[in-house]
Formats: sequence, structure tokens, C-alpha cells
Amino acid sequence: MTQEFDVIIVGGGVTGAAAARDCALRGLRTLLLERGDICDGASGRNHGLLHSGARYAVTDPEGARECIRENQILRRVASSCVEPCDGLFITLPEDSLEYQDRFVQACRAAGIAAEPISPEEALRLEPAVNPALIGAVKVPDASVDPFRLTDANIIDAVRHGATILKFHTVTEFIKEKGRIAGVRALPHGESGPLEFRAREVVLAAGIWTAELARSAGVRIEMLPSKGALIIFGHRVAGMVINRCRKPANADILVPGDVVSVLGTTSDKVPLDTIDDMHATPEEVDLLLWEGVQLVPALASTRVIRAYAGVRPLVMAGGEGDGRNVSRGIVVLDHELRDGVPGLITITGGKLTTSRLMAELVTDKVCEKLGVKAPCRTALDPLPGSEKRHPKAEEPYFKRAAIGRHGSEADRMDFKRGREIICECEQVTRAEIAWAVQTLGVRNISDLRRHTRIGMGTCQGSFCIRKVARVLAEELGKPELERDFIADYLQERWKGMTPVLWGDTLREAEYMQTMHRDEI
Amino acid sequence: MKFDALIIGGGRSGSAAGRALLSRGLHVCVVADGLHLGVDGADPYAHLNALAREGATVLRGDRALRGIWEEGRLRAVQTVKLEDEPIEASVFVLATGKFFSRGLLSDMERVYEPVFGADVSFLSGRSNWYAADFFAPQPFLDFGVQTDPEGHVLFGGVPCPNLYAVGGILAKGAAAADPARISLSTQD
Repeated sequence: MTQEFDVIIVGGGVTGAAAARDCALRGLRTLLLERGDICDGASGRNHGLLHSGARYAVTDPEGARECIRENQILRRVASSCVEPCDGLFITLPEDSLEYQDRFVQACRAAGIAAEPISPEEALRLEPAVNPALIGAVKVPDASVDPFRLTDANIIDAVRHGATILKFHTVTEFIKEKGRIAGVRALPHGESGPLEFRAREVVLAAGIWTAELARSAGVRIEMLPSKGALIIFGHRVAGMVINRCRKPANADILVPGDVVSVLGTTSDKVPLDTIDDMHATPEEVDLLLWEGVQLVPALASTRVIRAYAGVRPLVMAGGEGDGRNVSRGIVVLDHELRDGVPGLITITGGKLTTSRLMAELVTDKVCEKLGVKAPCRTALDPLPGSEKRHPKAEEPYFKRAAIGRHGSEADRMDFKRGREIICECEQVTRAEIAWAVQTLGVRNISDLRRHTRIGMGTCQGSFCIRKVARVLAEELGKPELERDFIADYLQERWKGMTPVLWGDTLREAEYMQTMHRDEI
Repeated sequence: MKFDALIIGGGRSGSAAGRALLSRGLHVCVVADGLHLGVDGADPYAHLNALAREGATVLRGDRALRGIWEEGRLRAVQTVKLEDEPIEASVFVLATGKFFSRGLLSDMERVYEPVFGADVSFLSGRSNWYAADFFAPQPFLDFGVQTDPEGHVLFGGVPCPNLYAVGGILAKGAAAADPARISLSTQD
């Protein structure tokens, strides 16, 4: 049976999710297809940094202006996903104060409130910074939870009529009379593909866009740029800390909930490796070496995990390490560019500008379809962000859920499921049930992305059996419990092995002893 | 304080060594800091309680810091709580386990034994420490201190005559000391 839509969006990262929401809000019959889980690619493997744009002010003023505009919008419409912690750009003795002056001027020219402060004031605001600093600039950087941001977009898209199909791999584009008329997609575990038709198909598949475009008959040159990051088991600093110099390795530390994320590297990688991205011990060593220059306490802080994502950079000609290539937003109208009507690509950009990317591509879709509805995503708050703050009289576990999901927590059935399943992150059965029902969670890795289950300091060592049991129960598939445990251990192991020394090696022995013989 | 034998570590192996030495009529002390890679719950505590009942001195919640050496032999051990009053003994048994119990520590480059700085066998290069498959044999679980065939702990390849090792802290293939055959003689 063929299903008909106005628009099909391929890719369930933050951009695809935001585009699905925007299309649905403008009244389009919208389908989003994702081959894995929401946020499975680079959307779930980044710093969680809501750029103020300061980082790009000197090298890419236009990108900087985009960032500050979007930063201000997301603080408003996605308040439950954003922590307005502000940021510092610090100048160390080996850096140049002249660069700092240039940086401040460039920020101001881009509309970014950059405020030079004394080293003493910087240390007062953020005691974790390297006390050797010789200059500092305060900027409106913030921390954003990419999982929550994507989920909120998905939830709102669904509420406005969009269809979201996860675990559906696009196998083929339907071509008719020279135009793209839809796709065939294979649901995981099924033998035959389903057919979906639409007047426009949008590729929003991050680095996987190049391969999809090829099968649709158009060529997009992409430069897969790997970025490795490490997570520390504590919130070492309360502000985002950047190095005030030209962008380089490991020069941003971002607080996120109770942890800190340091990154990144930027290395060109072959396209055939993008499905198996993991950080290496060598990358971890490099990141730590640089990171302690920013925040010396990182040298003695437990590293709990390392991971890597691939930036979907578009080649603008020439080769590079990924930092020289445009990180700007790219909308490709393949009808104009390649003579292939019915196909549009949205790529490049950043987590910070994902809403704008969605707006631009939705504008393009509406133009093609002759729809005149205006974009509302800069004004309408995302679900969860309707000014719902935890109340003191609410139980702690509910406040934790509100902290993660804002007003969505009011939809969770705490009467039925108040037992705490993940103690590090205070996740209850009610929240697991909500994630199964609302977000279509199918395994523990999905659940982790959407609830932070197992993301705390124990990395699931203590809660994994409980989680597996409860999730299997909520799914009504008790037979999956053991598979959940095995898959989850393997997934956690992948992130632990590059940082396997000190306390993480201690924990590894514990994890091995507790769990390896059970499977 | 002076004992015939000081056991460093109160887990299963340390308790077993303590009991064997006690049964030979020796004056035994056990330093037990309470961190056991414990899926066996209260079991290690029951063993320690039994040792104490049978006459051993059990220092709970204490941890060895370093050794005091004299002419190639270990003379005494300082602990966190008895730093000013080192515990002397004729023989010493190292039973501090692997990583979880902090018998072995590691940094980004090496694995080491923190109390005495004993020889530790491990692979160089962290990428060699683990297998990518969680359920495959993990090389780091084979790391540990090196001993001679009698279980004497090695330092720079040379066995210490009165420091023995038992249990999890041993490298794979390294000989554990047999408490029944540990000699109190100062002549060996």
C-alpha cells in the first residue's frame, strides 16, 4: 500500500526533526523517515554547545551572526533544553591579547555581547579556569541538550500531524518522468520495503546525505570530518570555557547536566568509516593534553566516556582538515542545480542553527508546493518549554523529569510508575513508559538518548538489569531482556575503552565481574 | 606493633592466607580496607570476623601506604591510620587485588602497584589493554604483579625474600605464595 504525503524528510537528527515540525506547523502532510533512532548520528554526538557565535566571529562573521540570532531564539522557544550558563573565552600566556582585541571587535560587529573582563573577575566567575590566564571575554554561550531539543521537535511534529517512522531505511527513490516522486523504505525486521509518495523529498541525513543523493542521481561532495569528545564525570566548570584563539583541537569545555564535555578534534575520515565511529586512545590523549590548558582540574577528573561524531561538511573546493571548509547552512534545490525536481537537500550548519536550517528548507518546500504559510518556529515554544518549572513540593524524581522534559513530565504517570530505575539520573518507570509511548523507544540505547538512563557516573553498571527488565515489560516483550543487557553493555564498553585507565579501569573490572558471565 | 606475618588486603585470598598462617601458630595481622570486588556480599567480612576470633589482629578500614626496607628485606609497613607506628613483621603477604580494590592503579600510560612499587606486567599502549568486544577475554584482567616460582614479589626482576603475593593482584601465570610453605627464617 502506498502512503501519500506533501513532504518526506529523510533523516531524524535535529535538523530533520526541526524540519518535520516546521513543515507540520505550516500545514503540510509530513513524513519523517529515520533508519535508526532519533539523534543516532552527529546530532547525538557533539558538545551540546549553543554557540553564541563568538567562536566564528573572526573567521566567519556571517556564521557568527546566524549563531547569535538562533542562540537568542532557542533560549526563548526551547528553554527546557537550554541552560543559559554563559561562556568565557580565555587568553593564556602563549596566546595573544591582540587576538583578543580583534575577537571582541569581531563579536560586537556580529551583534554578540562580548564583554572583556579581568583575569581576576574571570576566576571569580569561574574558579575552574586556568589561573595563568592573562585575559578573558564573557559571551552568551549556553549549554543545550541535543537529545531533548530533537525530541521536543519530534513531539511537536507529531502533535501537528506529522508521521515519524524510525528504523525505516530508505532503499530507493521513486523516479517518475524525471522527478523524485517518493521513496521506498524498509522497516527493520521486515522483508519488503514500503512505498511512500510525496511532492517533495528533503534529504536531512547529515553525513549520510552524500550516499542518499547518489542513489537519487545527484552528486554532493561532502567532507566527513570526525570530531572526538570526552565526558568527565563531574561538572568541573559551570560556564562554557573556550580558548581565545583561532579554532583548534580540544578548546571547548561545555557543562551539561552533571557532567562536562571536552572537544573536539577535526580530522578528515573516509566515507566508508562513518557507520563505525569511535574515539581512539590517541584522540583522548590529545584532547586531555589540550583540555588541561583550559581547566587544569581536568587532569585529575575522572573521564567516564569518549565518543565521536561526523560533521556533515560540504566541499566548497579544495582539501582541508575540516576547519577550513564552510560550516554554513547549505540548501540545495536539485531541480535548479541538477535538473532533478522533487528533491531538496539541507546540510552543513550546526546544532545551534538547526531551527534556522529547518526554516530555510521548509521555505523552499513551501515555495515548491505553492504554500504561503509563515514560519512560526521562532515564536512558538517547543513542547516542554512552556515555562514549567519544578515546584518545591513535587517529589525529587518528578523534579528530575521536569528538568529533563519540562512540562512533558506532567504527562508521565507517576501514580503507576514511581519506582526509581536509574539512580544516577533519577529516572522512574513512569518516564520509561512515557518514552516508550511518546518517542517509540525500542531498546536501552534509545532509552538512554531520551531519558539519560545509564548516562550517569555508573554508566549503567548498577541499573542495567532493572532497566532491561522494566523496558522489556513496558514494551510487552519480556523475552528481549537479556538481549537488552548484552547490547547495552557492548554499547557502553565502546565509549569506555578509549578512556580505560584510573577509576574507569576500576569500574571496567567491576562491570566485567558483575555482568560478563550472565550472558 | 610486631607480628610474624602481615597480610595486606582482607579479601578472600588475604583471609585464606591469614587463616593458613594462623593455623601454623603464627602471630598474624591483616590490614583490610573493606573494598572487595564483592558479589559475595558479607562473605569477606565473615572470614575476617573468624580470623579475629581465632586470634589474628584485623585492622579494618585501614590501608597500606608504603614499606620500610632494610637491607633488601621489608621490615615494616606504614598504613593510613598507623603512619607514625609502622607495623613490623617477619613476612608480608600482598593480597590487595586488582583495579577495583586499588591493588593496582593505572594512569594513561602505565599500570603500577602503589604500595611497594613491585614489578607489574602489563602491555604498553592503552589500545592493547582491552578487547573491543565486552564479552571477549580482556587483557587488562591479566595484568598484575610478578613473582618467582615461590610467590616472592619481584622488584626489578629480583625477588624480595619476605614479601609474597596471593590472589587477584598476581599477573596471569605468576605463582601465588603457598601460605603453608612461607618461611619465617631470615636466612633465605
